[in-house]
Amino acid sequence: MKDKMPVLTRRDFIRGTVGITLGASVFGLQWPMGEARATATSLVTVVRDKNAMDSAKNINATVLEKMLTETLTKVTGQKNTKDAWLSLVKSNDVIGLVPTDHLNPTHDEVVDVVKNSLMDAGIPEDRIRDAQGPWNAKECDALIAIPGLKAHWLTGIGTVLKNYIMYSGSPSSYHRSNSAKLGEIWNLPFVRGKTKLVLVDALYPLCDKGPQPDPRYQWNYNGFVAGTDPVAVETVCLKIITEKRKVIRGEPWPLSPPPICVEAADKVYGLGTSQMEQIQIKHSGWEHELLL
Amino acid sequence: MNASKPKLPQTVGVWNRLESHRIINSENIFNYMNGAGELYLSYRFRHLEVFNYKSADQGDILVELYFMETPGDAFGLLSLDWGGEPVSFGGTPAAVSNQYFMASTRALYGGGLLRLWSDSIYSRIMAERETPVSKEAVLALGKAIAAGDRSPSEPALVKILPLEIDSTWKLRVDRLSFFRSHLVLNSIYYLSHENILDLDLSTEAVSAPYENISGSGDLKRNQFLLVQYKNPEHARQALNRFNDAYLPGNKKEITVETASDSASIFKLEEGWLAYKLIGRHIAIVFESPDPESARTILQKNESNLLEKGGDHER
Repeated sequence: MKDKMPVLTRRDFIRGTVGITLGASVFGLQWPMGEARATATSLVTVVRDKNAMDSAKNINATVLEKMLTETLTKVTGQKNTKDAWLSLVKSNDVIGLVPTDHLNPTHDEVVDVVKNSLMDAGIPEDRIRDAQGPWNAKECDALIAIPGLKAHWLTGIGTVLKNYIMYSGSPSSYHRSNSAKLGEIWNLPFVRGKTKLVLVDALYPLCDKGPQPDPRYQWNYNGFVAGTDPVAVETVCLKIITEKRKVIRGEPWPLSPPPICVEAADKVYGLGTSQMEQIQIKHSGWEHELLL
Repeated sequence: MNASKPKLPQTVGVWNRLESHRIINSENIFNYMNGAGELYLSYRFRHLEVFNYKSADQGDILVELYFMETPGDAFGLLSLDWGGEPVSFGGTPAAVSNQYFMASTRALYGGGLLRLWSDSIYSRIMAERETPVSKEAVLALGKAIAAGDRSPSEPALVKILPLEIDSTWKLRVDRLSFFRSHLVLNSIYYLSHENILDLDLSTEAVSAPYENISGSGDLKRNQFLLVQYKNPEHARQALNRFNDAYLPGNKKEITVETASDSASIFKLEEGWLAYKLIGRHIAIVFESPDPESARTILQKNESNLLEKGGDHER
């Protein structure tokens, strides 16, 4: 019974030894791989508008268009939407849009706004497709991840990294303790390097009991959280959810289980940064309960 | 106990039930709800029936009926969140006790969602848009589902936990949860991504915080966990596994004798941890501010366990 492989426990989170234990128990010696990465800053934008969605959940598409323009120009540093898109994708790319398809799905209006914006930038409609689902990324040159923001009872958060779970062909393999390995899906040969933008639908997030909807834990945040670094975007999403939970309970209410897939995506899979100090957040729009 | 099948109305307010409904089983539950399916499979799940009510302009109402193996499994699902507005459907008034936990309600409403426990059915009824009219309809559907409720008791294990200990520690009944799986435990109180307590569908577990009510300064709280295994040997093996994983510095092999005599107590990062093997049960106190409190909470629960006959397989 004694001297077995160490098991990741609550105590590792308290002691700050998650990396050491997780590396030994789940990832073998891969864990430190990402530690040597250059500490570049990743940009994440948070664009909000009070009028994006009303209390009856009616969405104003015109407002969404403005929010998307603001997001694209901030993320890319370009002056207009067309230049922004064309700095991210090529005009002859087959572009896959990857929304969350059910259980707090990405709002159709958000997907439509993205699609229309791409077409306005000169991408032919027949080169834009829904790439959610097993294998659908294979035929795409570029992917735009458009997940809905939500907590997840098995993985802590179920937003950016989890959005590609169907590409694995075996989603249940990433439940339980293997949720730490969600980042490996992003490194599959037909997925790696294709994601040009992560645009999180944070109009009406879910901060507990996900992925099943529970309106007690959903609220009008009316925002887009976006960037080109999926881990940085997820990290900012985590911050928003964690802060909202604190507001609801009036005391710290950490996500349980802790979302170790985010740190693993950084440290093992090298997909981006999970360190807030390496993330530059550019916010614009509605200030109310920003949670950042 | 087999729950009688609820009779759902064809029409409720301005909503009409669609003719067809879906039946989801353990084979296809992931197709219906992805990883959320693990939650229901973490209890003893039989099947799920899904009904849709449509209206012209008031949004839809979704009715989910989760048919579970026992009332305890349905209770467990409700117990994961006691938040919301308690709802009574006019049946037998909820019994109360000042000694042990009894659910003060079997249905909770909030934000357009009604969750209820009726016999071995757990149900979620959710309005797409919350309005006074949709709330009325959701509650009417809840009443129809609960109409045949025979008000089974909560699992015996949850009644072991004393509500108050020495006028110092009070059980947070609003955070008491009943479960059978480490995945559910982790969503309540994270221990490990591995199943270090060897929980499975044959086990029962209850966990809740005890909060200090003596009024002496800072809020002090600890987390209590009681697990019931199918036999004492299963419990002993599970405690050994827990000890190895959670307390790797404690190299002793746990035997029935060593672990039953007195509580084992450890000073850890978050406070004191105490555990004890009690026949086919394991009781653990986490995050206790001092060893005496941990010992007291364990002792009181142990005496309740023995008194209520919950450990007759010792």
